[in-house]
Amino acid sequence: MSLLAFAQWVQTTGWATALRGSWYVYPIILSLHLTGIAVFGAMILTVNLRLLGVVMPKRRVADVVDQLRTPKRVGFVIVATCGILMASSKAEEYYYNIFFWTKMSLLALVAVHALVFHGSVYSKAAEMDRTSRIPGRAKLAAALSLLLWISIACAGRGIGYIEPPLDKLHAQLLPIHTHEGR
Amino acid sequence: MIAFAYDPSTNPLNNNEWSFPLLECIHILGFTLSIGTIAILDLRMLGLAFVRHPSRELAKSLAPWTLVGLVVMLISGPLIFSSDPNMYLRNISFRLKMYALLAAILYNYTLHRWAALREPAPAVGKFVAVVSLALWVSVVAGGLFIAFF
Repeated sequence: MSLLAFAQWVQTTGWATALRGSWYVYPIILSLHLTGIAVFGAMILTVNLRLLGVVMPKRRVADVVDQLRTPKRVGFVIVATCGILMASSKAEEYYYNIFFWTKMSLLALVAVHALVFHGSVYSKAAEMDRTSRIPGRAKLAAALSLLLWISIACAGRGIGYIEPPLDKLHAQLLPIHTHEGR
Repeated sequence: MIAFAYDPSTNPLNNNEWSFPLLECIHILGFTLSIGTIAILDLRMLGLAFVRHPSRELAKSLAPWTLVGLVVMLISGPLIFSSDPNMYLRNISFRLKMYALLAAILYNYTLHRWAALREPAPAVGKFVAVVSLALWVSVVAGGLFIAFF
């Protein structure tokens, strides 16, 4: 099955169709997605700015990193669930959306970032507290993480600006409400 | 109703492709900082995050970041508004958002601040936190629904 066929199949599923057909469910999920971003994003900011020594410099790194780990994961699951729901309802349209693919690629880079830095930085917070200076590797991880997440938020906003390629979409699958964004 | 005798087509925001989306991104980052730090405090009061930190101390550490976020939000917001003021004024969702925003900001710097700094009985703190979250969620939802009305 090609990716395009998969996208077309996903958006014909019952819940994706229902989501697309309702004028208010989509914006409600989008609101949850955005509020989740605010909460989840602020936790990422707090953790990374602590590593950079900007936020709560007097508190132990481990205190900040460990106490936010679980809420951060819960936040990510909420944001991702809303995102997947919205993406499935317009899967075929998003297949042609450059910002959607930019965002997905950046999210893949987040996974790479986690693979590279999780073991050596984020799970080693207690070790950092034993020395007075935060290692360069941790600061690099924090800066990269901030850059990645800010880009993801911007790419996400960009998705709403791409006009759906009406000539390529299946007429019967057209979303009823397309005036998202401006 | 108030209306501006003003032609939005003269606004530089409407005369290029990038400045409006860029402002929206800045607006999103601004509210991530403000609403997000307020929400961290709310989650603390609900016992869901930062449980080993007293909420008093957390409130003091996060307050400057909340303020920075609010300032960014309150600069980018009116600029976005300036792109088409009369449309926004007519939009019911926008009007509700403004009331919710006013209530949320006032609440944040009065009752919410009091609860975070004074650490009242947990049940009181939890109630204050839930109201705070509800207010801010309605601000975000109000902003979002502008595009759907």
